[in-house]
Amino acid sequence: MSIVPIIPLPVAVPLIVAAFLALTGKVIGRRASNTLAIATAACNIVLTLLILRGVWTQPQVYWFGNWWPRSNGVALGICFSIDAIGAALAVLTAVLTTAGLVFSWRIFEETENHFQPLMLIFMAAMCGFSYTGDLFNLFVFFELMSVCAFALCGLKTLEPAPLQGAFNFAIVNTVGAFMIVSGIGVLYARTGALNFAQLGLSLGNHADALMLFAFLLLTVGYLTKAAIVPFHFWLADAHAVAPSPVCVLLSGVMVELGIYAVARLYWTVFQSAMAPHTRELREILLIMAAICALVGGLMCYAEHHLKRLLAFSTIAHAGLMLAGVALLTSKALGGFIIYVLSHGAIKGGLFLCAGIVLHRLQRIGEDHLHGCGRGMWATAALFIVGGLGLAGIMPFGTLFGESMISDAAKEFHQSWFDYIFIFTEILTAGAVLRASFRIFFGWGEPAPIDKSSQVEERPETKESYQTTPVLMFLPAAALVLAGIAVCAIPQLRSTAESAAQVFTNQGAYTHTVLENAATIAPPKAPLEPLTSSVVRSSIAGLLALLLALASVFGTKPVLDLARRLEIGSPVLRQLHSGHPGDYVAWLTFGTACLGGFFVWFLR
Amino acid sequence: MILNYLAYAVAAWVFLWGLYGIVTSKNLVHQVVCVAVLQTSTYVLLLAVGFKVGGTAPVFADIPVGTAVVDPLVQALMLTDIVVEATIMALLLSMVVKSNEVAGTVDPEELRVLTG
Repeated sequence: MSIVPIIPLPVAVPLIVAAFLALTGKVIGRRASNTLAIATAACNIVLTLLILRGVWTQPQVYWFGNWWPRSNGVALGICFSIDAIGAALAVLTAVLTTAGLVFSWRIFEETENHFQPLMLIFMAAMCGFSYTGDLFNLFVFFELMSVCAFALCGLKTLEPAPLQGAFNFAIVNTVGAFMIVSGIGVLYARTGALNFAQLGLSLGNHADALMLFAFLLLTVGYLTKAAIVPFHFWLADAHAVAPSPVCVLLSGVMVELGIYAVARLYWTVFQSAMAPHTRELREILLIMAAICALVGGLMCYAEHHLKRLLAFSTIAHAGLMLAGVALLTSKALGGFIIYVLSHGAIKGGLFLCAGIVLHRLQRIGEDHLHGCGRGMWATAALFIVGGLGLAGIMPFGTLFGESMISDAAKEFHQSWFDYIFIFTEILTAGAVLRASFRIFFGWGEPAPIDKSSQVEERPETKESYQTTPVLMFLPAAALVLAGIAVCAIPQLRSTAESAAQVFTNQGAYTHTVLENAATIAPPKAPLEPLTSSVVRSSIAGLLALLLALASVFGTKPVLDLARRLEIGSPVLRQLHSGHPGDYVAWLTFGTACLGGFFVWFLR
Repeated sequence: MILNYLAYAVAAWVFLWGLYGIVTSKNLVHQVVCVAVLQTSTYVLLLAVGFKVGGTAPVFADIPVGTAVVDPLVQALMLTDIVVEATIMALLLSMVVKSNEVAGTVDPEELRVLTG
């Protein structure tokens, strides 16, 4: 049976159910609407998995309203063109939404805040974003998910912190969205097309300043969503205050979709036009990725507000994931998709653990909670395992992704990026371990007090629970385990690499979309042994553990280093000022710098 | 000819002033309006892209096929753009109202709770 007829369903079904819930939520009550929402999200898991299976070897194209390209081969209609990578991201979206909705069962006592419809629309938008084959459609889904995210982020409107977070998030991302619209306008002026395949065909090998300008605007717009330094400031404010089940989606998949969009645009539209400058572009993007990972890692270790700590860790890992795309090769891209899937699951699990901590203990600051979590052994175990997953130790999917990215980096003589990997992993995993030692075991001295953890977060529930509800623990545990289960895909690395080869083949993509031609499956490449990566990540995990222990117990010389890392750089802290104007100024500065580099190196 | 380039220059000009306004704003309502100004630049840009000197409306009911017309696609893009941004403006302004209620301020400087 062909998979094509069911392709629009993962977008259409949640939208219809969301409309129904928004209308009838008050009538049918909280339980019924939550059940319906969970059922819809679970149904989306099945649908997206079916689609993933259907496009596993051969990408499929669905033309809305049967507007397929006629004999002249010009695409006028709008299509979903799905390959294995886009389909896998949609599966991740559906899984995380389901987990978030199940977790929220015990959180929101009433339906007035439209939580469930917003979550469903958010999921539909992200599925559409990963499926679409049309540039303007990509923008529409981008905005749809942004609006849902802003609203979900500011759900608890009775406190100033969520308002500030949601407002900064909305302002910065909207400016990014205008850059995308301008980029689309410029590109349309240049080519007269909006379909990716058609755009790539029209641009051909011809590169000029106008095309480069469009590429700059689109890249900056999507990297704003991906929270790459210096476009990242909104993320820490927004993720720290959003309800925990929403953070799962924000950190687990929305940020990654920004990077995915850049990859999709590069390989389907700009690839052959930019071919002479691949090397320069690779270096520029790789340096951006490295700076992002370093800044995120340092800020992450210096943070004591548990959710803000995880937010900075997302920034750091977004840098590492950008490296998977920045190397501009299919092997690194294969690593990117594995990394995104396992990181999304692990980070989602960690955010849910933070949610459990907030519910049980009513506070979220590491300095306030010293030793308060004694007895929450199950949550503690999950938190520590998830933290080690961020370091990419053996059974986690992050290890496989990391090994492919660093193998590809070696091929292009960029093996310095390995140090960035190790450094970031030590800091992000160390921060999570440190927080869990203090909160759950009460080891050592209390954490130094920093400003952001003084912000009181009102718990989402009315009364504190004496035990962790099963419906809260289960999704958290399932997500952390899913971070391991990614490895169960047979021949994970070579499968990912062939999917990436299909993704990066512009000619084949154009043929598939415009002429409905079959793609020739690329041969499976032999892969390097994992040993060196296993050794490296074990060392990173061990060092993270030592760093966390040094922060907690530490003797003099070690303590000094750990303390200094924990207090963090005052300059770096001041830059995260919480003022949307500053953030937009940084966005402008970043755009100007990137544009300058493009003009200088890619002439 | 000059008219075409002028439109692009206006788009860039409006875009940059919008950015300047957002960066320097001391009032959240003003800041949201600056976002709206920034958005206007995308309308000008899209109009300029679709405009054709001497082109007429792209309705071929009463004009012969082959007549020069303006691009009908950009107005569809613009319409979507307007709808999307109207939603965002409404959401942003509702947040400003909430901020006035909850924090008692519409100054982004005073709303800063999470820093560092």
